[in-house]
Amino acid sequence: MFPADFAYARARSLDEALDLLAESRAAGEEAKLIAGGQSLLPLMKLRLAAPQVLIDLADVADLKGGGEDAAATAAGAATDLALGALTTYRQLQLNGALAAGIPALADALAVLADPQVRARGTVGGAVAHGDPAADLPAVLLTLDAELAIASRAGTRAVALDDFLQGIYTTDLAEDEIITRVRVHTAGAHGSAYEKFPHPASHLPLAGVCAVVRLRYGLIEGAEIAVTGISPRPYRARAAERVLAGAGPAPDTLAAAAALITTLADGRAAGLLGDQHASAPYRAHLAEVLAIRALTRAADRASEGRNQ
Amino acid sequence: MQLPDRDNDIDGVAAGIDRVKVMLQSFALASRTGVVPVTATREVSVQLTVNGAKRAATVPARTLLVHFLRDHLRLTGTHVGCDTTQCGACTVALDGVAVKSCTVLAAQADGHEVTTIEGLGHDVHGARAAGRALHPVQQAFQDEHALQCGYCTPGMVMAVRQLIADTPDPTEDEIRHALAGNICRCTGYQNIVAATLRAARSPATEPATEPEE
Repeated sequence: MFPADFAYARARSLDEALDLLAESRAAGEEAKLIAGGQSLLPLMKLRLAAPQVLIDLADVADLKGGGEDAAATAAGAATDLALGALTTYRQLQLNGALAAGIPALADALAVLADPQVRARGTVGGAVAHGDPAADLPAVLLTLDAELAIASRAGTRAVALDDFLQGIYTTDLAEDEIITRVRVHTAGAHGSAYEKFPHPASHLPLAGVCAVVRLRYGLIEGAEIAVTGISPRPYRARAAERVLAGAGPAPDTLAAAAALITTLADGRAAGLLGDQHASAPYRAHLAEVLAIRALTRAADRASEGRNQ
Repeated sequence: MQLPDRDNDIDGVAAGIDRVKVMLQSFALASRTGVVPVTATREVSVQLTVNGAKRAATVPARTLLVHFLRDHLRLTGTHVGCDTTQCGACTVALDGVAVKSCTVLAAQADGHEVTTIEGLGHDVHGARAAGRALHPVQQAFQDEHALQCGYCTPGMVMAVRQLIADTPDPTEDEIRHALAGNICRCTGYQNIVAATLRAARSPATEPATEPEE
């Protein structure tokens, strides 16, 4: 299988990448940015995507780096961590301090796609793709991730929760490039990711990430995010509210998990079903996985910072 | 990729589908027309180091690395299995790291180093001149009869090389998880796992090197 014909250019800088986007736009051509290509190239080979211009970001230094200060955040000396958009899953996995500071991230990386795909796939690509069943966005949502996005107009910051809009739909404009993903790591040592994978695609039929922050044995706050069951990964804020101020008893965690498909305003989240799993089944999985994720996150939180 | 069921359509799912349809229509209308920006080209010249030798060619931009290796360089040891990034038969090392060459463009590999199954034996103890020596992983596959039809074998060997480079003393569980991206249609996994354990314990196996980013 070949992708449809396209023109290719590898940008050598962020400026050049923005220039290439502007040139394509001026020429009336559909351009796509490519980083690892592990989501985009399969779509192009199936002709579900057929951009006329492919702009390769692999050599753009401004999108690299980040995560070096993971040791500081793991030790509690810092509360923010910026990851370059080109950071691969493999680089995250090899960053021991990062895995120690955010165990949910290590959980997700261990069950995300496969080693060869993780060697190429990037953090920026994972959020830009807008896949309703992506693993990483669930983890990033619980860390209140914020994206730095560059364009000719300058740089803007947007919360991932506002960025994700629907099935393969995001807030990224045609002339914009994600440069950095900033995560808040305070309390992230009490975190866990649980997933029920489709055995062939490895995508989650449902996936739940939980962060539980304990103070004097009570839940000071919790962040819960769900993926794979709705048009976009979302925060289960109704469940989070149940936990605030409560003790991490099994009944309490189960009561919170029962609200896993309820949004902040009390409405039910829109659910997806397909030939692999119906919407009610996915919702059931999410509730079960939420109990597991909350239980492990609370255990890790009570084990203390350095496990 | 998962597509929604229209019967369970709630909250803008239909809008998402419609948007995809519009995109597909616009792709169809706009393809093969319009002017290509100066710096983006439909033909790209690629220069890469393959199994230690510098190779250069001009190819269509859409050429996949696996087809470049097989059709342009006649290195047919790298196989095309599923062609959908799932089976791992096309696994090669790109800058020392195992990747699926059906999901990398030749253009993306421009300026980089590729090792295929044909070049693996050359890397034993860094002695390229050793000729056709088997890499310890290949030797272990032979010793444990870790292949039936052999189609998945080059990809399996390349994936196992990476696994041992990352995890020099893997458990059986770690091996099975690390081979999640490689499918053996003969289902001969038992001997592949045995070969991996043997290769990991082989004194001939040295950790592979990976350049710092």
